[in-house]
Amino acid sequence: MQWRTIYRKECVESARNFKWIWVPLVFILFCIIDPLSTYYLPQILESTGGVPEGATFNIPTPPPSEVFMMSISQLNTLGLLVISLITMGTIAGERKSGVAELILVKPVSYMAYISAKWAAHVTLVVLSILIGFLASWYYTQLLFGELQFLHVLIAFFFYGLYMVFVISISIFMNTWTKIPGLVLFLTLCTLILINLFTNLLPHFLEWSPTMITSYLPTVLMNGDIAQNLWMASVMTIILTALLLMGAKIVLSKKEIT
Amino acid sequence: MIMTQDVIQTINEHIAIIAPLLIIQAILIVTALVSLIRTEVTNGPKWMWALIILFISTIGPIAYFIFGRRNDT
Amino acid sequence: MIKAKELTKMYDKGYAVKNVSFELSPGKCVALLGPNGAGKTTTLKMISGLIAPTKGEVKFSEKKGGDIRQHIGYLPQHPQYHGWMTAVEFLVYVAQLSHISKKEAIKQSDRLLKRVGIAEAKNKRIAKFSGGMKQRLGIAQALIHKPKVLLLDEPVSALDPIGRRDVLNLMEELKQETTLLYSTHILSDAEEASDEILLMHKGTIVESGPLHQVKKQNQIDKISLRFTENMEVYADQIANMETVTKTEVKKQVLHVHVNNIHLAREQLLEKANEEKWPLLQFEVGQTTLEDLFMKVVNEHAMEDNL
Repeated sequence: MQWRTIYRKECVESARNFKWIWVPLVFILFCIIDPLSTYYLPQILESTGGVPEGATFNIPTPPPSEVFMMSISQLNTLGLLVISLITMGTIAGERKSGVAELILVKPVSYMAYISAKWAAHVTLVVLSILIGFLASWYYTQLLFGELQFLHVLIAFFFYGLYMVFVISISIFMNTWTKIPGLVLFLTLCTLILINLFTNLLPHFLEWSPTMITSYLPTVLMNGDIAQNLWMASVMTIILTALLLMGAKIVLSKKEIT
Repeated sequence: MIMTQDVIQTINEHIAIIAPLLIIQAILIVTALVSLIRTEVTNGPKWMWALIILFISTIGPIAYFIFGRRNDT
Repeated sequence: MIKAKELTKMYDKGYAVKNVSFELSPGKCVALLGPNGAGKTTTLKMISGLIAPTKGEVKFSEKKGGDIRQHIGYLPQHPQYHGWMTAVEFLVYVAQLSHISKKEAIKQSDRLLKRVGIAEAKNKRIAKFSGGMKQRLGIAQALIHKPKVLLLDEPVSALDPIGRRDVLNLMEELKQETTLLYSTHILSDAEEASDEILLMHKGTIVESGPLHQVKKQNQIDKISLRFTENMEVYADQIANMETVTKTEVKKQVLHVHVNNIHLAREQLLEKANEEKWPLLQFEVGQTTLEDLFMKVVNEHAMEDNL
């Protein structure tokens, strides 16, 4: 009841400030920009005069799964940035402005407060990713050839998990400080550090959440779900739960002023 | 001139493919403007945001939604 | 009803609140009086649960267990809202957070908005509210779940005279329904609405009790003297007299607190006559609560200047 109240309030807030419109649209753009530009690359090169007269220029057409991975890598950079930006103030901002004082002086469970906000952002982001994936799939099909829809859905499921993990990091950081900009910084630093460690020690960290992306090409090509992908997903779910519990502990130790 | 004609020709041929891209950009611009008109205070002057939204494609409206709006209004 | 026991809050810089104990009995209106920085807000926040005390505890006697916040209504000094919400939306939101059904929440919101006098703005976005309206909405949100104890942090200090009057009247009414604890840095606001006062100074309670009693306790007989010269010499002499409990010099005036006003007056006048004191002024009077309050305020001000 209390949880639903906060969840609904978050969703209404996202509607009033147009997040429900612009976030999905932006994710669509991120997802279709690479398939389109790859398809039109020869024309673009030609029209900008980058190719000498008479030279035949042969760019091999990449396979559909590779094109789809381009969309995912856009989401991995720009998408992550947008997610961090839209979540950076969800708790920190309320504490900074002082609204949190009025909310948390009511008999609100801190876990409900945190998890409802988390869930509201998960809803928005996961739906946006789904729409983005569908758009990318549509263009890939149209311009590059057959890509099985089921494979796209499986990839969406695993990639969605990773994005949920990113939201959880941001929510966790939200409880540490009242400054949204600092939340953004800490979230991005954490992601970069995880990436760095994963790249340095790929054999030890096969189950790292950031590895999920690297298992997706196989999924897209033939629908095979590697053992490590399952393990990375389980790991991601565990870390997400830990982050949410950690957020609760940190917030209840903070002074709401 | 030949170059731009080529581009126009390409666009004409592929209008069905490009159209969604243009529509999305248009929706972004319109929603950003509606939001800008309805909100009382923005970070920075309103006219500046209007220019940014109108003339910097895609990035402009996004920048407005993220940085232009005051939290909580 | 609510018992604060040795509440203490320590920060790196030192104590914000130190060993504050008091009890709020049902139906009482208590003023937490003190200059800015005395620890009033910190005390209120510790009772409301927003700040965890370093030491000590808050006990709610009526109900055992459960969330103490269910019984507390709190109005911060500068209440902030979600500006995109309307007044009704916000009230219904916080009501639902307090486990009230939506139907009941809507009913209560309407009733309270009328009561605090902003019913006509119920569907207006809070971003467009004036400071006074926000303060009134703040009182409404504090009352929405019918709390047994109402904590108001400087409820009238930011208001214009009319708003101040309205809120004081409202507090007078609320006294009948709940226990009220409010902070203020203005003595007259404390005298106006409260039954009891807690005077805070540097994080501790220096004076407390029913208003008339505190007033009486602070009515000490005193004689004020002014000399043309050599005040220090006479001051020492006077301090050694039998009935004198205390002497202090303020603005070139020597204030002498005494036990027995008749005897002291006699003795002092006799001495003055014999020794030909260069007296300018001789006044018999009483100290008041205001003197005590001013003393506390001045001490604070002096420390701030250091």
